[in-house]
Amino acid sequence: MNNRKQIVVAVAGNPNAGKSTLINAIAGSRLHVGNWPGVTVEKKEAGFEFEGHYIRLVDLPGCYSLSPYTQEEIITRDYLVQEPPDLIVNVVDATNLERNLYLTVQLMELGIPLVMALNIYDEAESKGLRINASQMAETLGIAVIPTSAVKKSGLDDLLRTVVQVADSPEAHRPKRLNYGEDVENALEGILDHILHSHASLLDRYPVRWLLLKILEEDASVLKAANITSGSLPQQPFDHLRRAHGDDIEGLMADARYAMVAGLCREVLSRPEKRNPELTERIDRIVLNRFLGIPIFMAAMWLLFKLTFDLSAPFGEWIKDMTGGPFKRWTEVVMGTIGAPDWTVSLVNDGVIAGVGSVLVFVPVIFAMMFFITFLEGSGYMARAAFVMDRAMHAIGLHGKSFIPMLLGFGCNVAGIYATRTLENPKDKVLTALLIPLMSCGARLPVYVLFVGIFFPDNSGTVIWVLYILGMALAVLMGFLFKKTLFRGEVPMFIMELPPYRMPSFVSLCLHTWEKGKHFLIKAGTYIFAVSVLVWFLLNLPWGVENKHESYLGRAGSVIAPVFKPLGFGTWEAASSLITGVIAKEIVVGTMGEIYAPKKDDEGEKEQPTLGEDVKEIMVSFSGAGIKAVSSLFYLPIEAEKEEDTTALNEAVKGHFTPLSAFAFMAFVLLYMPCMVVVAAMRQEFGTWRWAGMAALYSTLLAWVVAFLVYQGGMLLGLGG
Amino acid sequence: MNLSELKPGQKGRILKLESTIGPIRRRLMDMGVVPGEIIKVEKVAPMGDPIEVTLKGYSLSLRKGEARGVEIEVQP
Repeated sequence: MNNRKQIVVAVAGNPNAGKSTLINAIAGSRLHVGNWPGVTVEKKEAGFEFEGHYIRLVDLPGCYSLSPYTQEEIITRDYLVQEPPDLIVNVVDATNLERNLYLTVQLMELGIPLVMALNIYDEAESKGLRINASQMAETLGIAVIPTSAVKKSGLDDLLRTVVQVADSPEAHRPKRLNYGEDVENALEGILDHILHSHASLLDRYPVRWLLLKILEEDASVLKAANITSGSLPQQPFDHLRRAHGDDIEGLMADARYAMVAGLCREVLSRPEKRNPELTERIDRIVLNRFLGIPIFMAAMWLLFKLTFDLSAPFGEWIKDMTGGPFKRWTEVVMGTIGAPDWTVSLVNDGVIAGVGSVLVFVPVIFAMMFFITFLEGSGYMARAAFVMDRAMHAIGLHGKSFIPMLLGFGCNVAGIYATRTLENPKDKVLTALLIPLMSCGARLPVYVLFVGIFFPDNSGTVIWVLYILGMALAVLMGFLFKKTLFRGEVPMFIMELPPYRMPSFVSLCLHTWEKGKHFLIKAGTYIFAVSVLVWFLLNLPWGVENKHESYLGRAGSVIAPVFKPLGFGTWEAASSLITGVIAKEIVVGTMGEIYAPKKDDEGEKEQPTLGEDVKEIMVSFSGAGIKAVSSLFYLPIEAEKEEDTTALNEAVKGHFTPLSAFAFMAFVLLYMPCMVVVAAMRQEFGTWRWAGMAALYSTLLAWVVAFLVYQGGMLLGLGG
Repeated sequence: MNLSELKPGQKGRILKLESTIGPIRRRLMDMGVVPGEIIKVEKVAPMGDPIEVTLKGYSLSLRKGEARGVEIEVQP
């Protein structure tokens, strides 16, 4: 379509500098969101035409520096060094110039043409900050364009400048900043050595950047360049050390900040008198010693309410659609073409139900993403972490782990996706591994059934004990994981408390949409596949009358002995646990089908009309399961009320004792999280490793705990 | 004296970063916690840890354990 070569623009900047908003404002729906290879950090890209040029934007993760420590920093610098873009757009928060320029200075070291978007410029002006943009442009040798991403101002200017700079890159290389005589001399010394012994490196790396990294003894660069620090001439280093002490990395951080401080003195003037800013005034209340925690709890209550209650009706609606009309139509269509029964069942209970079981999660994922993104964008997320960190740190977690774990009580899947607010990948994985121990809404119907039968007088207490058991085990497993899987990790809580800002609604919606779409496509594929697979398990051999003879029943018989020491070693219990992997609530549905099968064949023969058939499908084996998947999150006791469970109650009473019932509930609480959680973990972490780990450890833990409960209870004489 | 000993409202000049492990030290520096800088303790979290400080015109939070590695002298 266009013969002109595309302009590759990398967008870099500090977190909270409005980078996402800027990119959303420029690219809008043309944005494509993926992941950086091998990591959980998001990669956004967009391609579009601008005044006859084709521009490809690559959004680099927000970072404060190009140190080789955080994932975001490593991705940013690797990208810039290994696939140098035509130019970098550096998004700078004008209200926080000094710290933002620290990254700018480091980006300039790469020698790639640089354009600065001096963002949030309107807010800086209204605060009375005066920034001499043209002088800054001159001093640094780069273009500086004031922008406001939220108000969409300056964006055309920015793109026009990008095109200009791309047309004549040589005229727009950033100036070489002078870090002082001692540093410059040392760099000269290193350059001599490189020219002699490693000249080929100069083609692979930007020269000045390479020299600086060697001076800083940056381990990853030395390794990639195949230089051992012993082979380097010691003279330049010794000289610096004598004059400035041993810590050259620290010296360079100092030198860069000194450069920035000098620049700020030149171009920035702050107002003489300063009123306390809005952020300060809000924080006086929100972080207050006495009010901080109550406000936090109120915010969390609201978040939970909004996420789950708001999405519930939409989930119900999707459930009714896929469970009702969709099926009816398929029946009609497939009936007219004379398709055999089993294909109708496969399409309805396998395919449509599979799609349905993905779709029902969409409202809650969307709602959760929207509110989480709002909390982050507004600045409250950092405060929530600040308030909670003490308690979370005490159990080896990060302040930001709280929200994902809280959401886990509503739905583990929502909790898994909420872990993206944690920056450190280890904190993120650890939190995600513990979320399945939070008793989600789908486990409640199982408890309700059993406590109703065996502990009618203490039902509330028993359910509470289960919730607390899950939390206590999370603390215990957290410690265990810290000591084993994550040994040697350096925990950190050095975090900016950004000013409160109203996030742009469009940006929020775009972000939410992107995440929701990802869930649908990526996690949805796995969930769909498992749903169809389970259909085969449940319905084959086709036309099987006795549930014991179905593949499911046979599988249940095979694994039942494993549960013998736990007090529920029957094929019925084992089968329902197998189907519970789709969604834990299905355990109840399966038990209903096995213990108290409804006589559904009569209706089928007498009433083959559409309306009645829908009902039939709903009570069919997998139909019941699907219904359970669908109502996964909403405390589904009400949904189950309509059904007459007397027959089931009687049967369950005959097969369990109070002790084995409690062991069974503990097992349901703890064993392998549902397939949607596993799929979400697979998608979120880009590997089966942690998803598999979660499934494995939780099942083992469930067995051990149920074993201890049952055998301990027997010893104490509670077996009767 | 170190940063964790300052009371809310007190200011200090950073002398050096010591006894902190590599990544923490580097991260602090990247966030502007460099010698010579004036740093002010604004708040202590409701549960007593972490703390909020301001420097270079922005707010930063860090745990007391991390603040202990930042040597300072109190400023009026």
